[in-house]
Amino acid sequence: MIEFLNPLLWGGLAAVSAPVIIHLLHRRKVKQVDWGAMRFLLEMLAKRRRRLFLDELLLLLVRALLVGCVALAMVRPAFHHRTAENAARGITRQGRTAAVLLIDDSVSCAAGRAQPVLEAMKKLGLAYLDSLAPGDEISLVLMSQSGAPANDPLFDIEGLKAHLAGLKPSYVATDIPALLDAGMNQLKRHVNPGAELVLLTDGRKDGWRQDDKVRWDELRQRLRGPGNAALGTRQRPQVIILAPDAAALDDNLAIIDIALDRTLVAAGRPAGLRVVVANYGKQGGRQATVQAAVNGEVIGSKPAEVPAGGRQDVVFTHTFETAGSYAVQASLVNHHDLLPADDSRALSIQVEASVPVLLVDGANSPAGLQGKLGFLAAALDPDPGSPGPFKVSRISLAQFTPSLLQDYRVVALGDLPILEPAMVDALERFVVSGGGLLVGLGPDSDLALINRYWARNGEGFLPCPLQRPLSPPKPALPAAISLGHPVFSGFGSKSDEAWKAAKVRSYFKLDAAKAKGAELDVLLTMDNGDALLVERRRGLGLVTLMATSLNADWTDLPLQAAFVPLMRGVAGHLGSFVMPPRNLLPGDPIIYARVKDPSKPMSAEDPSGKPIKLTLGSWEGRTAVLSEPLMEPGVYLLHDPQLPGPIRYAVSVAPAESALLPIADREMTQSLEGGVSLFHSPTQIVANLDPARRQSVELWKWCLFGALGLMFLEGWMTRREA
Amino acid sequence: MTLLDKVHREVIERLGNLSVTARQAVESVLAGQHRSVRRGLSVEFAGHRQYQAGDDLRHLDWLVYARSDRYDIRQYEEETKLRATLILDTSGSMGYGSTRQTKLAYAQALTAALGFLMIRQGDAVGLVACDTAIRHFIPPGSTMAHLLNVLATLEQTAPGNETSLAPVLDEIAGRLNRRGLVILITDTFDDPRALLNSIQFLRHRKQEVRLFQILDPQERTFPFQGMTEFVGLEHEPRLKLDGDRVREHYRQIFQDHQQRLQSGCHAAGVQMETCWTHEELFTVLIRALAWK
Repeated sequence: MIEFLNPLLWGGLAAVSAPVIIHLLHRRKVKQVDWGAMRFLLEMLAKRRRRLFLDELLLLLVRALLVGCVALAMVRPAFHHRTAENAARGITRQGRTAAVLLIDDSVSCAAGRAQPVLEAMKKLGLAYLDSLAPGDEISLVLMSQSGAPANDPLFDIEGLKAHLAGLKPSYVATDIPALLDAGMNQLKRHVNPGAELVLLTDGRKDGWRQDDKVRWDELRQRLRGPGNAALGTRQRPQVIILAPDAAALDDNLAIIDIALDRTLVAAGRPAGLRVVVANYGKQGGRQATVQAAVNGEVIGSKPAEVPAGGRQDVVFTHTFETAGSYAVQASLVNHHDLLPADDSRALSIQVEASVPVLLVDGANSPAGLQGKLGFLAAALDPDPGSPGPFKVSRISLAQFTPSLLQDYRVVALGDLPILEPAMVDALERFVVSGGGLLVGLGPDSDLALINRYWARNGEGFLPCPLQRPLSPPKPALPAAISLGHPVFSGFGSKSDEAWKAAKVRSYFKLDAAKAKGAELDVLLTMDNGDALLVERRRGLGLVTLMATSLNADWTDLPLQAAFVPLMRGVAGHLGSFVMPPRNLLPGDPIIYARVKDPSKPMSAEDPSGKPIKLTLGSWEGRTAVLSEPLMEPGVYLLHDPQLPGPIRYAVSVAPAESALLPIADREMTQSLEGGVSLFHSPTQIVANLDPARRQSVELWKWCLFGALGLMFLEGWMTRREA
Repeated sequence: MTLLDKVHREVIERLGNLSVTARQAVESVLAGQHRSVRRGLSVEFAGHRQYQAGDDLRHLDWLVYARSDRYDIRQYEEETKLRATLILDTSGSMGYGSTRQTKLAYAQALTAALGFLMIRQGDAVGLVACDTAIRHFIPPGSTMAHLLNVLATLEQTAPGNETSLAPVLDEIAGRLNRRGLVILITDTFDDPRALLNSIQFLRHRKQEVRLFQILDPQERTFPFQGMTEFVGLEHEPRLKLDGDRVREHYRQIFQDHQQRLQSGCHAAGVQMETCWTHEELFTVLIRALAWK
């Protein structure tokens, strides 16, 4: 089978027509001559007309073939010789090898008893590199550098060996599908015909993301290539997995999470910090001491005894005295296990003096409990002017401008009859970039306008389109809530009782089917089964839709005691997301988008106090300061001269890396649907990847030889005729 | 410049400017060129010598024997007035010329020069101008007035129709009843077989034949490059050809033609001289006069 390695240059074959075009142009330039010896010309033509024609045709053919051979050489045809022996062996090296070495240098590679698993992986990688020959191309793609600009393949195998030998584990999480995908992308930069995708992994299960079937289906399809692609070509590379024997790594205690007991942390109020410790060992419980610190100051230490395969929550209580950015760090002290990287964890918390909330009231002159959002304003900020968790600003629709949005984290719309298109755009941008939006309906809401501009058939900012307003003869009652949702954190265990007296006289029936099902979260339903309160994530933000009014026009819910904790829960949840995120994974950059004056320099430092380079860029259409990827876990500080204190960013390893569960060989090969060679030891690699077993040849040299031969032939023919 | 001027320049001035030795050589070549082919009309006494066995007794001088009783053989040379016919080809192809003159112009000058030289040594010279047929015919004469008549006729000739010398030569052969010399001046762009047959016929009619082939240098080299449309001078169809590509084939055909002519002339005992129009006329004359 023949593969063309530079298919983009097929257009060069059009040059074959050049000799014909030149010939035709040449024929058009005719000069006239009076000639006496016509007799000889006529005699010559009578005798040699056919030969002249054939000579001309042959010369044209030779010239076209010459150009064609050069063009074909540039397309780089490669002939792949497939034999039954090769097929049986499973490894077919096609001429010069184009190898992409995908190295899973994730945090789990650091695990190990005598030495990290990465050392065994290196031996496999070096054995593989030994199987390559001069002229083979190789690229190195590291898990820790995914997302970095791709590099061109190298021919320096010895240099790569030295690089591989000096490799150290990173703190990033494994994502095998992403790594294979990056490998396929990198393979496009190669030109050698024999394509090999070599995955060097520690064989831990979590990184394979086997639950993500959609990604795997797409990846498998990409690895299979077109139906007629031969195995070992760049369209369908040979996949080789190099994984050391999966030793039992069952001695690992890890802090896998730090959580707050509320969505919104207010200054001066105690907050619960829940540290989750997991024991991935299989035998016996493990004892450890969990130490918690806030901004580096220890706030307490508590013992934890975690059963084998179990988890334990260790709760600390801390009062954040002032508003600002905090970092909570939890660590296992005096503890040693197979993977030290997950023995500590950090959480960035933004403590708010109050969350700025903008209420856009559908009434013309809203005041007090009047208007569309009077009850909501009273629920969130009952005593304006005094400190509270919410700082509410209430305006009418006429006062609403896009520029107002940048100062608020939560916006509530109360029964608005209409919104200008510019405002709709501004609200969509606000939500997508992390804002929280609460939409209340009512008698002034225009069904057609809302569906057309706000919902846009499920593509707008509204969680879902509306069907029609309903006024059932018997008022509906709120019935079921989504238990455990942060919105209902203010309700006790008897939450059902809180809704019994509330009646919904009118509401809009929601067309939930037109929302992308899984994204729509129904928080509160009525006794007739219709949704009353739904939530949907849009971009980085959240939108909550109340199917009825937020005042007493359609429901007496605002008159119930449950209304206050409900609305506070909703507003708190909507305002709890700090965007851009400050809790990061290794490899993520710092993104700070509240840049008010780009001319004033900001600075940042890593956990050891060393400065980090910052650049000015953009994030979701806003001016932002960005750092380079943060590769090590810990707390990073960003100093904004406009703010009194630093902003803290927490980088922690992915909890999934702590499990260290080995993946079976069968699972690995099944994930890739066969066509995979799996080696566990250098001897297996040597036995199967002997560089002498090269089965195919590149034909470009022959094309050039052919072109050279044709050039001589053309010269000879031309000289003979001259 | 008239033909007379040309003859004056090419023959009298040039030959006159030759060194004495060279001129004598030319003249000596000229002298006795036309050794008589028949006897009797003009016999010039040269002297006596002693009889030797085998001598023809008819040449014994009986008067000397009667007077002195010696056997002397009477020696003499017989010379006759040569009757030469100059046949000039005026076909269309003779109108070609890549140098400063056409082949016809060159041929006219050559004809005039030969005529002059022959009349100067007392021979009779006639002229035939022809293409497919005889266009001008002047019977042989040996006076200078006749030469002027010949030159005037030559000046009137112009390139005409196709080349077809064979029937013309056959017709001329029929008109020539006495032995003589036929000088054929042509580019020979004719069927060589028919031409050679006609020459053979002339030879059969007891005519000494000499052939001057007039050619343009480009007709040998064929220097045309790229696509060229060749327009024939004898009403042939036009041809569009790539000069570079057909050159070798053309040259081969040309060489074959020349080869055939030369071998045919050699077989017929006809002396053939190829004259290139870029050559000086007098060098051609010297070469031609050196013929044996």
